[in-house]
Amino acid sequence: MAENFKPVPDRRKFLAEALRYAALGTLGVIGGAAFAKRHRLVREGGCVDSGLCRDCELFEKCYKPQVWQIDPYKCIACGNCATYCVLEESAVKCVQVYPICGYCKICFGFFEPEPHDINEGAENQLCPTGAITRKYIEDPYYEYTIDESLCIGCGKCVKGCNTFGNGSFFLQVRHDHCLNCNECAIAAACPSEAFVRVPADKPYLLKRVDNAE
Amino acid sequence: MDKRLGATNIRVFVGVLVGLVVIVAVIAMSRLDATGEKGSGLGSDFEYSLEQLAKIDPDLILYKESTSPVDTGFETTHAIAIDSKVSIYVAGDNAIRVFEDSGKILNEIKLSEAPRCLAIESLDTADDVSDNLKIYVTMKDHVEVYNSRGKLLSRWRGLDDDALLTGIAVSKNDVFVADAGNRIVVRYDKTGTIINRIGQKDEDRNIPGFVIPSPYFDVAVGRDGLLRVTNPGIHKIEAFTFEGDLEFSWGQFSSGVEGFCGCCNPVNFAILRGSDFSGADDRFITCEKGLTRVKVYGLYGEFIGVVAGPEQLVESGKVEICDSPAECQLGGFDVAVDSHGRVLVLDTIKNIVRIFSRIEDSS
Repeated sequence: MAENFKPVPDRRKFLAEALRYAALGTLGVIGGAAFAKRHRLVREGGCVDSGLCRDCELFEKCYKPQVWQIDPYKCIACGNCATYCVLEESAVKCVQVYPICGYCKICFGFFEPEPHDINEGAENQLCPTGAITRKYIEDPYYEYTIDESLCIGCGKCVKGCNTFGNGSFFLQVRHDHCLNCNECAIAAACPSEAFVRVPADKPYLLKRVDNAE
Repeated sequence: MDKRLGATNIRVFVGVLVGLVVIVAVIAMSRLDATGEKGSGLGSDFEYSLEQLAKIDPDLILYKESTSPVDTGFETTHAIAIDSKVSIYVAGDNAIRVFEDSGKILNEIKLSEAPRCLAIESLDTADDVSDNLKIYVTMKDHVEVYNSRGKLLSRWRGLDDDALLTGIAVSKNDVFVADAGNRIVVRYDKTGTIINRIGQKDEDRNIPGFVIPSPYFDVAVGRDGLLRVTNPGIHKIEAFTFEGDLEFSWGQFSSGVEGFCGCCNPVNFAILRGSDFSGADDRFITCEKGLTRVKVYGLYGEFIGVVAGPEQLVESGKVEICDSPAECQLGGFDVAVDSHGRVLVLDTIKNIVRIFSRIEDSS
């Protein structure tokens, strides 16, 4: 009788064991997925930090610290940068590349599409926060400058400048503001996939001057 | 008994609280828009809309698209021209393609580099059929001349490194080239020798100088013997003698349909011949970028009507011509007219040619 005796398994012990194995299995799946993702990123040369790089150039690239930036050729100035940043005041600001700018007297990045008059009156200005200043240079040329303390990165001026002008206004992540979150909230909300990782030692993606040609 | 009841109440309370927290969390998660699909949430002050400006009174539209567009097959296009037999010449990529208005391709001339603009000179007196026309095409800094079979006849000496040739016109004895880079019109003879330069700022001669904020600068020769040149930065078309005297100008900024909108327009134009032999009833067909409009003006700038507005030139219901910055920068359409009075618009975004006829003609 004693030889045929099989102890009844303890239910609590059984559950604990099952839970342990399930946790181990989940960890294994997550680890495997992460490994596969890293391996794919390395293969595509897009990783951020991985010890899996075999190619020296790629290895250096993979180990370089990277930051978020907006590709100005992909950005459609949708306005999401103004509201999706985790900071109260978005780290995205409009920038002006002067060699591309036409110094137009009637700049459609500055003026409303139907301005009442061609002067700096608030009612004529496109920017809702008044973040662009217009300065007379010589007839008929004017210089336009972004006041970053007022700019919220809504991109309204970028749309006007792209549509009518040379596109010298565009949005960039300002790294004196940006927290460089691992999962950038604006990047996740960007409809044109314009948010990219760039090397921290070259943190800005400026438009080329030949764009104006 | 009371103690047990108290313990039960606390458990129920905690359970309800946890349940509420879970419900609130689920609602919050469902409302959270991490992907940006719900938009920026910014108010109407932050919207950039050209919808009102894009609407054109239907009574002002004098033309309608008469045939299916011609697909050029190019990845990039720059210029359009028509010969006297109404063949359509389009310069794009590294070639010039010749089409019938049905869209059938008749010829292709390969070029060594990207063309910028194009002019056709018909020579009906030539004996050899291959010499019955000359094709003048500008590259970034120089002019090349081809015959109708695509044989290179001459390659003119290049201008300086700043040159960016964006317009060309041919008269009986001269060729005029608009150099946007140097903001000047260069007058050549037919052998490619420079005769003079036109339009340099000169207060003594009352010439304001050309203001070219973006690389659009066009020329044409009128039947009245005057050269017409766009001055897009001040929204004008100026009339010069071949010697460079400014005779008059017309055009003004306006977001309304009667004027030229944006920072720098018109970008291109063509002269539509009227019935009067002297050219007194010739008209100007202008093309604007940004708010893309093709319009008709009289010889001295009186607004006559519209060939096509944004609603005719883009997909139905969509008023903005471009989505991406790259597309926006391509949005300077070119225009040509044929001997039947039709207006041909080269859509440099879709790389197609749209053909418009007067509404009374096409009906």
